[in-house]
Amino acid sequence: MSDGFDVDRIYEVFARQKREDRLEHVGAITAPNASLARVYAWQTYDEATWFEMVVAPRDSFEAVNREEAPFTLEPREEGAAT
Amino acid sequence: MTPPETETETASGEGGETRTLYGSPEELPEPAREALGDLLLVLADTKRVLGIHYADWILGSPTLEAGIACSAMAQDEWGHGRILYAMLDDFGMDPERLEHERGPSEYRSSELLDEPTDSWPELLALNLLLDTALSVQIEAMRESRLEPLHHKVSKILDEERYHFEHARGWTARMASTDRGREATGEPFREAWRACLRWFGSEEDELASGLAAEGIVDAAPGELRRRWVMRVAPSVAEVEPHLVQETEDGWGSAVDPDWEGWEPRTRRLRDAPGPDDEAILSRVRGDRNRSLLGE
Repeated sequence: MSDGFDVDRIYEVFARQKREDRLEHVGAITAPNASLARVYAWQTYDEATWFEMVVAPRDSFEAVNREEAPFTLEPREEGAAT
Repeated sequence: MTPPETETETASGEGGETRTLYGSPEELPEPAREALGDLLLVLADTKRVLGIHYADWILGSPTLEAGIACSAMAQDEWGHGRILYAMLDDFGMDPERLEHERGPSEYRSSELLDEPTDSWPELLALNLLLDTALSVQIEAMRESRLEPLHHKVSKILDEERYHFEHARGWTARMASTDRGREATGEPFREAWRACLRWFGSEEDELASGLAAEGIVDAAPGELRRRWVMRVAPSVAEVEPHLVQETEDGWGSAVDPDWEGWEPRTRRLRDAPGPDDEAILSRVRGDRNRSLLGE
């Protein structure tokens, strides 16, 4: 919902515990901007001492082999961000 | 106790600074030792009480994620307070009494924290302005000649990075609408006035003495300048007339007001202290102690 503030976006969170690990998808958070996305991701997924954590807006991902929206596999909305 | 260790022994003069490291507070010369004890108590109390204010917003924050952030920040502040109280043992103070047995008039937390925070913009003002002031002060101890101090500040500052980012992110969000800017106005103005003087005046001999002794790396005026530089870009988004752009960055558009200021406690002399029922009873853990029959 937008009340005139910046609209919240869903950010996907990826992390790895050791340099030699691969980044894994650990979850998602909702935030109005990248600054808060970083804070929320770090403080929400604090179950490990991460070597690296990154976030990206869900709507920045491109589906490769499926028609549905990435992560949710729900039908894509008309005019959704590409 | 480790004896004082002289890192370099050269004649004074250009590039020939003698830098003595102190292994424990007992080795500090007296005015500096007392001034540092005062400062650590100010920091410990402010962090402990700030933690309560963050904790009050774990439930009822604007979003679930913001509540989680408040929970994390509350835990951080309480952890930092615990580290700082424990250090005061070496300054002839009793950490047990400091943490559990004092009344409102004995606390040295900023007067901004005396009453519970009623609104999210008020909490945001504490998060951006006060929490960052504490971090700027603690950062000035990173290269302290008192070794136990500079060893402890890294963990604190690592965690504080996220507090600052939270404050920046939320200020940007509030700045995105007229209503948001309007709501932040008064809390930011009040916190600005309080934080601007919190570092102390340039004439404050105790604080300047700490800088001269190398316990902190700068005198109050320079710390205030660093704080303004750090928070001004965010403040300018919501309350632009508090700050002004200068040749080398940012300055405060208002001067610190020293009326009623008490340098040693870093509080206004007539402010009553944290609310005993709403805040201090939880800070001290009164309920826990009554359960245990102490």
